[in-house]
Amino acid sequence: MNNAKGNKPVIDKWRIRFIYILIAIVFGFYTLKLFTVQIINGNYYLEQSEDNRTNEINIQTERGIIMDRNGVVLARNVASYNVTITPADLPGDPTVNPLPGAIQEIYRELSPLIDIPVSNGVLNDDTVKLFTPCYTDFGIAEIVIIQDTNAPYTAVNVACDIDKETAMIISEKATDWPGVGIKIEPIREYPTGDMTSEIIGFLGPIPATQEEYYREEGFVTDRDKVGYAGVESTLNDILAGKNGKRVVEVDVAGKEIRDLEPPVDPIPGNNVKLTIDTRLQAATKAALIGEIQWWNRYFNTIRSSNGVAIAVNPKTGEVLAMVSYPTFENNRMAKYIPAYYYNQLLADPLTPLFNHAISAEHPPGSVFKLSTAIGVMNEGVVTPNQSLTCPGKITITEKYSPNDPGYEREYVCYDELGHGQVSYTRAIALSCDIYFYKVGGGYAGEVDEGLGIDRLAEYAKALSYGQATGIELPGEAEGLIPTSAWKRINMSENWSTGDTYIAAMGQGYVLSTALQVVESAAIIANDGVYMQPTLVREVLDSDGNVIQSFTPKVKWDITKDPLITVFDENGIATEEKKTVAPWVIDLTQEGMRKVVADTEGTAHNYLNNIIINGKEIPVAGKTGTAEYCDNVAQEKGLCIPGSWPTHSWFVGYAPYDDPEIAVVAFVYNGGEGASVAGPIARKVFEAYFELKAIDAGEPEVVEEIE
Amino acid sequence: MKRIIWRNFDFWLFGAAIFLSIFGIMMIQSAIAGNVNLEQAVSRQPLYLAGGTVLMLIMAAIDYHYWGSLARFIYIFAIASLIVIYVVGEVSYGSARWLDTGVIMIQPSEIVKILMIMVLADYFAKNYDKPHDMKWIIQSFLMTFGVVIWILLQPNLSTSIVIMVIWAALLWISGLPLKYLLILGIVGLVLIAAAFPLLEDYQRGRILNFIFPDPEASYGDTYNVEQALITIGSGGLLGQGYGQGTQVQLRFLKVRHTDFIFSAMAEEFGFVGTMVVMLLIVFVIWRCLEVGRSASDLYGSLIAYAYAAMLFFQAAVNIGVNLNVVPVSGLPLPFVSYGGSSLLSTILGIGLVESVSLRKGNIS
Repeated sequence: MNNAKGNKPVIDKWRIRFIYILIAIVFGFYTLKLFTVQIINGNYYLEQSEDNRTNEINIQTERGIIMDRNGVVLARNVASYNVTITPADLPGDPTVNPLPGAIQEIYRELSPLIDIPVSNGVLNDDTVKLFTPCYTDFGIAEIVIIQDTNAPYTAVNVACDIDKETAMIISEKATDWPGVGIKIEPIREYPTGDMTSEIIGFLGPIPATQEEYYREEGFVTDRDKVGYAGVESTLNDILAGKNGKRVVEVDVAGKEIRDLEPPVDPIPGNNVKLTIDTRLQAATKAALIGEIQWWNRYFNTIRSSNGVAIAVNPKTGEVLAMVSYPTFENNRMAKYIPAYYYNQLLADPLTPLFNHAISAEHPPGSVFKLSTAIGVMNEGVVTPNQSLTCPGKITITEKYSPNDPGYEREYVCYDELGHGQVSYTRAIALSCDIYFYKVGGGYAGEVDEGLGIDRLAEYAKALSYGQATGIELPGEAEGLIPTSAWKRINMSENWSTGDTYIAAMGQGYVLSTALQVVESAAIIANDGVYMQPTLVREVLDSDGNVIQSFTPKVKWDITKDPLITVFDENGIATEEKKTVAPWVIDLTQEGMRKVVADTEGTAHNYLNNIIINGKEIPVAGKTGTAEYCDNVAQEKGLCIPGSWPTHSWFVGYAPYDDPEIAVVAFVYNGGEGASVAGPIARKVFEAYFELKAIDAGEPEVVEEIE
Repeated sequence: MKRIIWRNFDFWLFGAAIFLSIFGIMMIQSAIAGNVNLEQAVSRQPLYLAGGTVLMLIMAAIDYHYWGSLARFIYIFAIASLIVIYVVGEVSYGSARWLDTGVIMIQPSEIVKILMIMVLADYFAKNYDKPHDMKWIIQSFLMTFGVVIWILLQPNLSTSIVIMVIWAALLWISGLPLKYLLILGIVGLVLIAAAFPLLEDYQRGRILNFIFPDPEASYGDTYNVEQALITIGSGGLLGQGYGQGTQVQLRFLKVRHTDFIFSAMAEEFGFVGTMVVMLLIVFVIWRCLEVGRSASDLYGSLIAYAYAAMLFFQAAVNIGVNLNVVPVSGLPLPFVSYGGSSLLSTILGIGLVESVSLRKGNIS
């Protein structure tokens, strides 16, 4: 070659040059590739590496507890104990076969305690994909292997919701069993269960449709729960609290290295004190169910499938008890909602998930006569002392327009013998149908012009009918108060005179919820002041400090707020509005008192003479026996003309002179109001005043047993 | 005998090699990232370098022609050392590759690479004047394969390939006629196709996964190379700083002290630092090629060329794996990757090349 002296053979230069070229090409290409990865796409990869090492940890907050007015806990969080294993902390490699002796020993001793086999099932792509901790058939060894490949430094649930004793045993063994631990998870518990479930409701997983909203609020979709019914649902924002957050740096095994951002501590949810008195709730529930079951047994059939009893304080609007029968056991929804139980509830013809107290609409029947009565007096349709004749039945012309010749129709009183001469208060006491027909729709010779449907509707609405009350429960129904315009729009038919007669006594198109019925009586009891019905007494922070104390809210005062539209002589609404005269309410109260106090009053036999600790509790009220013909009754063939099935109603308040409780009792297909709903209401009144005496520390007067 | 002229000692080559090795030790320190098991093993690397440097100087001092005359014994010794580990070898990662000498653990196959350079260079130098025919090719192939078979059976495919590459490079430089190159190419392809079913599952998987990336591939299959790319990319222009690379320090990058040390370095030193190291490796290869060009005889040239080819191949494959342009194979980055035997053999090779350099242009 060059100066290689003689004995060195020549190597082809081009062969070496080829090697140089090869080196240049390869390293040139690598330089280009390196430049692309590091400089051109550097930010993309940097983001990925940031993604690798940052982990956002959501710290679960604690949901507020729910108490009754006396601090009795109605919903709380209890610890659910889960057994966990952190694969990286086990003494040895949990993935080798055979397992290290120390691990085998742990598995063998743990297995009988938690009732999970040491090894069970085959690991392959399909079975591993389906693996969910707590809901798996895998044995301990398989669960640990799966976790070891996913996140060896993170604990996996091996057994869930074990009893406390076992949890204690296992946590004592913690030092002998490295890697095994107990994780405490909060689950909701309802100590009063189905006694209050219609009010409290239950929790469920965040629904898919609202996932985005809740995620933005910092909830974790497959962990956190939200209210599904009752106050758990409506007060969710108060109870839920705010989850905390940590952004941490993790290594490849998921081990936390440090906080990348200052951690945000979770804010616990606020506690809520309800207006409910659990003792009264229990008594009310017992009274309602007892009565319904007594009658069902008496007739040896499920005559009444549902019922409602509500007690409110008319002066404050506080709901003291609210019973919807039947209901559900919300403790069965505590950990998760079991599909079979939920479907069973949904399929149940008695609709236990449905809150009958606020969501069911029924004809109110004669309890609605209170609206008619107040309207009639306030509008001067008749004078207080004006007596109308009740002959037992009257004939009225059914007309669809003023010029319609119409046809004659007979309207009967429930007592076909008639009530003779009936004045205002006596009409209420007797619930005289003929009186209310005449004043409601007019009767030639005695009442020139009746109240009429449009004016009646004004008074009914002033007494809370026809609109939601705004109580803190989901799914409240509005009921229905018909007007002539309503019928034209919805039925394509003129309002007829006959419609007015039956609407005047709470039949026909009129529908109401039980809550509206009790509110109508509460408004009268409270001298015309409608207090906003509420279930929330106080909101307390997690340390027990009151952050929202109870202040009764006046919704309106029918004697002061002009709510009643004035109609001109042609029945056309004017701009003018008026109030209800206080004397009208006083007089109506008198009538309601007579229902109970007068020997001829409809509820006299059932609600008079309530004596608690030697003191008589005077009750005022109104009975209702509402004819109905819904699809259930039709299917059963009960809708026989002239003899429709009836719901039982009683609404009343006590003490008459200074009311502190208003009660409604409703029994579906219960028959007569006084004899079925009356006794329920009586028991609620008795329970309330007995509890009041106990709370006041009055010595119990022991009555001699006859 | 040739007189040693220390003026001819290639200090640039020596300096670059030592610099890269020291940089490697530093990089390994960072790459162990708190792994206690590795920490102990890695502390041996400086010892290997120190011992290796001494051996290198001894190697440089010894006239390489001795190796030529001892070729037969070296060849037998190479095979013997490979067979011995089947009897007394230590099992590691499922393969019998290690020999516990009592003082240090040695991977004979690494040392055999250098021994084969000595033996094959000798064969090609001695047969340079003979016809470059099929006999020449097959004889040299059988000679090479007589050693490779034992490495292949370990099984250690990557080192086997390295030795075959040394053979191929020597064939090329010694003037392999192009028609034979074509025939060899075809035979090679057929053999690869035939041998493919014989590969271990993991090897087949790596190759298939590289050629046909499966979009449904499970996380594990592509994890290492994906993380390597993320690691390299996150280095940017100037890197995240020594000991500061999150991919390395938080151990998202696997086998980061050996196969993927290039990625680790790219993250911590960025494009600039990585280019410097890459250019240094090219510089070492270039110096070896220069020694080959200026060597006083064919044997010396072939030794230097063969060593340069080996370095080039190993570096190209390792960096290619890191950049995800070559299927995953276990070849270390010369000088830099952790591995005592590998460092020792690379440094010994430098000594061998220096021995050639020291004796250039001198006639006995």
